[in-house]
Amino acid sequence: MKRLLLGTALALGLAGMASAEGYKIGISNTVQGNGWREEMVCAMKAEALASGKVESLNIAHRNTDAAGQLEDIRNLIQAGVNAIVVNPANADGVNAAIKEATDAGIVVVAVDQAVTEPSAYILSNNQEEYAYIGAKWLFEQMGGKGAVVYMRGAAGAGADNDRDKGFKRAMAEFPEITIAQEVFTGWQQDQGKQQINDIIAAGVPFQGIWTSGIDNVIVDAMVESGAPMVPIVGADNAGFVGQLSSVEGLQGAAVTNPGSVGGAGVALAIQILDGKAPAEKTVLVNPELWDNVSEEGKAKLAAAANPNLSPEWPVSVSIPGWTTYTMDQIIACKGPGE
Amino acid sequence: MRRWIEANTWTLGLAVLLAVLLLATKLIQPGFGASGLDSLARAALPFALATVGMAIVVIAGGIDLSIAAMMAVASVTGAVLMDGASDGQSLLIVVGVLLLGLLMGAVNGALIVLSRVPDIVVTLAMLFVWQGVALLILNAPGGGAAPWLRAMVAGGLLGMDWLPRGIVFLAVVTAAIWLPIRRSRLGLRLYAIGSDPLAAFRSGVPVGQTRIIAYALCGLFAALGGLSVTMGTGIGEPIPGPYLLASVAAVVLGGVVLGGGRGGLLGPILAVFILRTVRMDLTLLSVDPNVAAIVEGTIMVAVVMFGAVVATRGRKP
Repeated sequence: MKRLLLGTALALGLAGMASAEGYKIGISNTVQGNGWREEMVCAMKAEALASGKVESLNIAHRNTDAAGQLEDIRNLIQAGVNAIVVNPANADGVNAAIKEATDAGIVVVAVDQAVTEPSAYILSNNQEEYAYIGAKWLFEQMGGKGAVVYMRGAAGAGADNDRDKGFKRAMAEFPEITIAQEVFTGWQQDQGKQQINDIIAAGVPFQGIWTSGIDNVIVDAMVESGAPMVPIVGADNAGFVGQLSSVEGLQGAAVTNPGSVGGAGVALAIQILDGKAPAEKTVLVNPELWDNVSEEGKAKLAAAANPNLSPEWPVSVSIPGWTTYTMDQIIACKGPGE
Repeated sequence: MRRWIEANTWTLGLAVLLAVLLLATKLIQPGFGASGLDSLARAALPFALATVGMAIVVIAGGIDLSIAAMMAVASVTGAVLMDGASDGQSLLIVVGVLLLGLLMGAVNGALIVLSRVPDIVVTLAMLFVWQGVALLILNAPGGGAAPWLRAMVAGGLLGMDWLPRGIVFLAVVTAAIWLPIRRSRLGLRLYAIGSDPLAAFRSGVPVGQTRIIAYALCGLFAALGGLSVTMGTGIGEPIPGPYLLASVAAVVLGGVVLGGGRGGLLGPILAVFILRTVRMDLTLLSVDPNVAAIVEGTIMVAVVMFGAVVATRGRKP
């Protein structure tokens, strides 16, 4: 009898410990209202819910700069979270707060873009490679010569700078490729469409378009203007992926840049909290290129297309080996306790 | 004493509101203490300096929409020059950046006075100009900041750990610049041109010159704000932060009349701390981020409306 009681007490105690294990995870993101970032936040919520190990999420998600992100991270430290998953506003600017967090024993994972603070873990899309493989494919399609419209992201953003490095690396390999026009779309759909309309109207000759993810509106503009179609490179946004198989005469390629890297970041944070820290502090997710010219690319595009997604969302909604949520969970965009 | 209280009801009210909010923060998060106060001060610093600059222009009857862009110019200029500079050099650089701020503000003011184009149009145009200048100086976040400069706003004051250096820095800088001006003829003139430029002109106030000085002071505080961003982050940021709308909001919430001529600087500074504390509490309570923005806006409108009601009630008898 005594042993039974003891056993029960032990079991109850263990059960109590197991339920008390629920982690509190903080999230900091500085771009709001952008499809990619919204998918990232939804992936974070879905992963936290699917893991079953997260008790609550504290989400600081607003439009701000590095100084504002310092504030958000410090507020999350005050909130007593166990881990912080952050999409850094830039590589150096939030180091001070990250150091304060790790000194306080909080696990910090930077997703999407890297930080230079050595105590943080980094799980990032390889942005330089993203631009390089897309540009290389585009220049090959153009036959190695001609002028390209270079539609970048936001001036001054870290990811835009990394992509510029990759783009320039590809340019160096194709000496006969020139830049017809270089513009910053600010990763804004309306701005990008206005810019391509201006370029078409101005009669600037070009043989290809490289975009930093503002892609479906560029295809729209080309179709609407009746201009001869040229090869276009974009990201794996649902709208553009759909166009690659539906718009007649369009040769293009989607380069993957999964917003679900946010979910992978939450998964990594949970692993570390569980005591299973990875050997390397930096994990790079390499992009893939899906074109609608090769059979292999077509198959990947067809498999990835999903009409249930918002056109601004990347279609790669999960990262194999990292995320564990279902398609329905990420579309529902609900975290623990919601 | 009673007269002083009556004249400063609004500021006192804000101080009480801030105290209540800090108490609420302590209830939400019992661990809230010196480190929490320190992070609050550091978060508030760039907002507070921008707000002081904006408040001065608004008191003088104007508005400066280019304030965040000027902050960006100051931030990148300081960060680019300070990268790898010695301590002595960086002191000179800080002085240089402050002069640059004065100059940028004076350019804004001179354009308004000479062109006679409305201030809102001129400073809106200058917003784009300064934004371009900042990107020309530094096209991506980068540069550095001298360690002594960064240490000026980090942590508590020696011997008084609970008092964040950020607050001391803000108080010293603002008082050193504003108090002598406020007590001088220039201070009177700033209020006079904001209250009634025609009456000021007829009383012999050099309206144009005073207006240029008001904008130059705004530029000076914008430069301080930009430097404080660099002090916090350790880098220069060419893309302007969310300081324009936040500073206008804090000025209004702080009891400065948007038409000019009335209000002080303490109210707007308290308002900045109130808005930052609200943001902190919303994070601590893990309120849905989209709802958080609505809550922030609603609190702002509610406080200003409440103040208007109190003010009209107070005037009746």
